[in-house]
Amino acid sequence: MTGGAKDVILLNQVYTTYEGADLPVIQDVSLHIKPGEFVVIGGPNGAGKTTLLETIAGLLPVVNGSVTVCGHDVVSDGCTARKKIGYVIQNFDFHPFTPFTVEEVVLMGRYGKIGWLKRHSGYDMEKVTSAIDNLGLTLIRHNQIGKLSGGQQQKVLIAQNLAKEPEVLLLDEPFSNLDMVTREEVSNLLCEIADGGIPVLIVSHAFDALPNRTIRVLVMQNGKIILNQQSDPSKVGNLVRTASVAA
Amino acid sequence: MLEFLIPNNVLCHAVEAMLFASLGCALLSVLITQMNISSIGFTMSHAAFAGGSVGAFFGFAIIPSAIFISILTAFLMGPLSDRTRMHTDTTLGVLFGTMMAVAIFFIALMQGTGKGFEASSLLYGNVISLYREEIYALALITILIIVFLIAFYKEITAIVFHKRIAEIAGIKVRPIYYGILFLISIMVAISIPIVGGLLLYVWLVTPAAIAYQFCNTIKRMFIMAPLIAIIISVTGAVCGIMYSLPVGPLTAVVFSAFFVGSVAFSPKRKVIFHKH
Repeated sequence: MTGGAKDVILLNQVYTTYEGADLPVIQDVSLHIKPGEFVVIGGPNGAGKTTLLETIAGLLPVVNGSVTVCGHDVVSDGCTARKKIGYVIQNFDFHPFTPFTVEEVVLMGRYGKIGWLKRHSGYDMEKVTSAIDNLGLTLIRHNQIGKLSGGQQQKVLIAQNLAKEPEVLLLDEPFSNLDMVTREEVSNLLCEIADGGIPVLIVSHAFDALPNRTIRVLVMQNGKIILNQQSDPSKVGNLVRTASVAA
Repeated sequence: MLEFLIPNNVLCHAVEAMLFASLGCALLSVLITQMNISSIGFTMSHAAFAGGSVGAFFGFAIIPSAIFISILTAFLMGPLSDRTRMHTDTTLGVLFGTMMAVAIFFIALMQGTGKGFEASSLLYGNVISLYREEIYALALITILIIVFLIAFYKEITAIVFHKRIAEIAGIKVRPIYYGILFLISIMVAISIPIVGGLLLYVWLVTPAAIAYQFCNTIKRMFIMAPLIAIIISVTGAVCGIMYSLPVGPLTAVVFSAFFVGSVAFSPKRKVIFHKH
């Protein structure tokens, strides 16, 4: 893949590390993602898939190279970049009595865009309602998030990121807690988002849930990208398996 | 401030001090309990206690000394955990022990140098002999906490919910987080002469712990925790002075009794069985 003016995500020879780690977790990764691309990141546990998403979101220190999202350097201008990035994290554990409702959590996705010392507007609430409805959470919008099932909580976090109106969407294991029907619904929703021009990057092991469209497959191993190619959704699982075994 | 309501000067000062201390501490208690930073609050309150003891021993003003050590500790905690590569709780445990030891050491020395009354005030607090300036300082920091909470309410609630998710939303987490630590440092330092270094933590945790038993949203907690704290603290101050009982310990015990009652009657523990 070659870089160009239209690249929304641009990684150039990137090395990232966690605080306190002895060696960089991501090593010499270069990547160019264009609008509307649907990217699946696969590979064995500990390969650096989540770290790659965190690097793109500007949540980790970059020790070498540069990461640009929507024209913003995620290291020097991370907050501005993150206002344009939707990122559904993998590990969340909400206490059953966490004092926040579904609606409040979804609204939080817009807080960065609203800015300091301002209250949310009618437009913000419109976006929240639309995201809640899209994910089928209307009936539980006033319920406490901690009392929902893992799958419902996952949907709330996806809704939170949709309400944000992201220009880039990153999802870490978005299908892991979802039932078969919801998987298909979420998969179709992500497909619509990508068709609308927003690049979608997902880390997943659930290759059966992928949408029926051209998919770019990245396979990672030991912090490096060992495979980067376009594929049919039905062949993604095999590609990932073969590349991981060959490495 | 409340002389028009309470003509007795001593009682008036005590009520004013308890009113502001409980209001400020209770608001912070919601943040401390919901952000799971109880260990940080615990360490900072004892750092303020140590600072106050060192200041009192060397003849410096207690509050500035307490503020200095408390803020210093707040800003040392993060880097120290990174350097030692230990879990933050372990580092805080070491810091807490050190601060407690420093405080007790200087309090023990003060008792041998004719400063026994000051030492006892640092340990258990003293609402009777407060200066007017101390009450003004308390009022000021309490107003500052309220203004901070109102101004940055959405950022604070997002951080309380999940620090990482708040960061992803594009919120500048660090300045708000350090702002919260800074306010805790100042509040604990100014409250030490009133409720004492040993008991202060009751005001920084228990109001929110009680409110949590009855509230489903954080907004309600921010309203209920201060109300509970004000009612218990002011009642404690009035009863303590009227019946010549130590105000700080008496109020702390009442707080604990209310907590036990709140757990017993909390609707959160009710199990609902649906009949089909």
